[in-house]
Amino acid sequence: MGRPRVKAVELVTDTSRRKLLAAAGAGAAAGAVALAPGAAYAAEARRSGNSAQESVVAHIKDHRSGTISLMIGEREVVVQDRDLVTRILNAAGGK
Amino acid sequence: MSSHREAPEISKDPVADSTDVYAFVSPKKPDMVTLIANYVPLQQPNGGPNFYEFGDDVLYEIHIANSGKGKADISYQFRFFTQIRNPKTFLYNIGPISNINDPNWNRPQFYSVTRVKNGKKKMLAEKLPCPPVNVGPRSTPDYAKLSAQAVHRLGKRKVFAGQRADAFHVDLGSVFDLGGLRPFNEAHLIPLAKMDGINSVQSYNVHSIAIEVPIKEVTRNGKLPSSASAASAVIGVWTTAKRQKSRMFNDATAKYESKGPWEQVSRLGNPLVNEVLIPMADKDKWNHTAPRFDKRFARYVNKPELAVLLPVLYPKVFPNLAKYGKNRADLNAILMTGIPSGVVPGFQNYTGPVESDMVRLNVAIKPTAKPNDLGLVAGDAAGFPNGRRVNDDVVTIELRAIAGLTIPLVDPSFKPDAAASAVTDGTKAKRNARGTNKFPYLNLPGGGYQTKPGTTKAS
Repeated sequence: MGRPRVKAVELVTDTSRRKLLAAAGAGAAAGAVALAPGAAYAAEARRSGNSAQESVVAHIKDHRSGTISLMIGEREVVVQDRDLVTRILNAAGGK
Repeated sequence: MSSHREAPEISKDPVADSTDVYAFVSPKKPDMVTLIANYVPLQQPNGGPNFYEFGDDVLYEIHIANSGKGKADISYQFRFFTQIRNPKTFLYNIGPISNINDPNWNRPQFYSVTRVKNGKKKMLAEKLPCPPVNVGPRSTPDYAKLSAQAVHRLGKRKVFAGQRADAFHVDLGSVFDLGGLRPFNEAHLIPLAKMDGINSVQSYNVHSIAIEVPIKEVTRNGKLPSSASAASAVIGVWTTAKRQKSRMFNDATAKYESKGPWEQVSRLGNPLVNEVLIPMADKDKWNHTAPRFDKRFARYVNKPELAVLLPVLYPKVFPNLAKYGKNRADLNAILMTGIPSGVVPGFQNYTGPVESDMVRLNVAIKPTAKPNDLGLVAGDAAGFPNGRRVNDDVVTIELRAIAGLTIPLVDPSFKPDAAASAVTDGTKAKRNARGTNKFPYLNLPGGGYQTKPGTTKAS
């Protein structure tokens, strides 16, 4: 609502990136598209106790930014992770 | 208009489209205030089988600012959910609906009411039934009874959410045909024969959310003000509709799903502000902006495009207005800050210097026994722009204000053109769905069966 505004965001560091790969459903979203070379991370990922228990919508507003927004329930989780974003962009490109 | 389909984005989203806000001291209860927000514009009453309803995926709110900061100090939130009782029929109802819990009504809608103060939420009620729409004499044979059953008491408060007749009146067909005002057709740049105005909203319904609460519940100090000159006597009121940030079509369920935080997609305070004053390219942003940031839109109020167009569209009719080059401090006061003390004798509804579009109501001013639909400009301080009553003729009031009638309030050197006190869209009171004197104050909605395009009566 309007500017300036304070978003209710949760920033997630790269250290939890592996968990996010699972939470964001990045591997599933790509369908049959292989997520090389980062696919190994997805294969190793383990869901934490705080992982999402419902469907999640991921939104990359600016493909140059390295920021991804995850919509869940009535929350928006903003993640800064250029590698994750790059892999999703690659998957979205179908290559 | 007043805010029916007023911006490009919201015109595609009727269930979230706010059309009018009313705020007034309850006529027979001067210690209570009634707040009404209308949504879902221009409903043709016979629009079945999927008749109009509130959006289950929309957060509707009525906000009150009472601290002079243009922010919501108190909000009432309304959330709806719809049930399908019999999934095997295409019918809205499978027999006459004799009461609002009648199992013959196949698609009942319910709602919750939550009060938010200082960020703390308190649910006041849930699973309150709405009335059905007015289908016709076979389906909803006693609509007045259904309507009465849908007025719910929550302690001292009353609440209603459901279909009503739209009390707003305006000649959309003429106004948006190059600023035409039918009674002044002969004076228009492209002249036509003079005629009465036609109320384009006549026979259409809306969905209303109405709540009546003790005045003490909405003032900054929790008291019933006794003096109209007190700052604590003034509240600002507006409505918003919010949708969750993400909306995705689920191909498995064939329904939309929403995720993420709530984002404001519609708002409404004073009538006609976004409709007439805000340029088309900024209307969607305006709908997404909180009132306290309205400073960015103030230039459209201070130099309204319509005030420039009137002398062009009606040559030689508004010569004084055409020459007036100053900022419109009168409109800024009426719409953005409230009118300070000393401008209109004995009256003020000033909320401080924060420019914000809100309906400002001085709750210490008692209801008028015989209201004048032209409100404050006609000497009736209980009417618009001191709040807004259901029958206030806001189109005429704002047309005359924009035409220069209110400039002398702040600039006594200006002499309004003679036409400024006569200009009107010409819609007649007898063709409008007049309000009632009983909560929720808007009249019963027109019925589907009774609808004859162009000739349907309001009830």
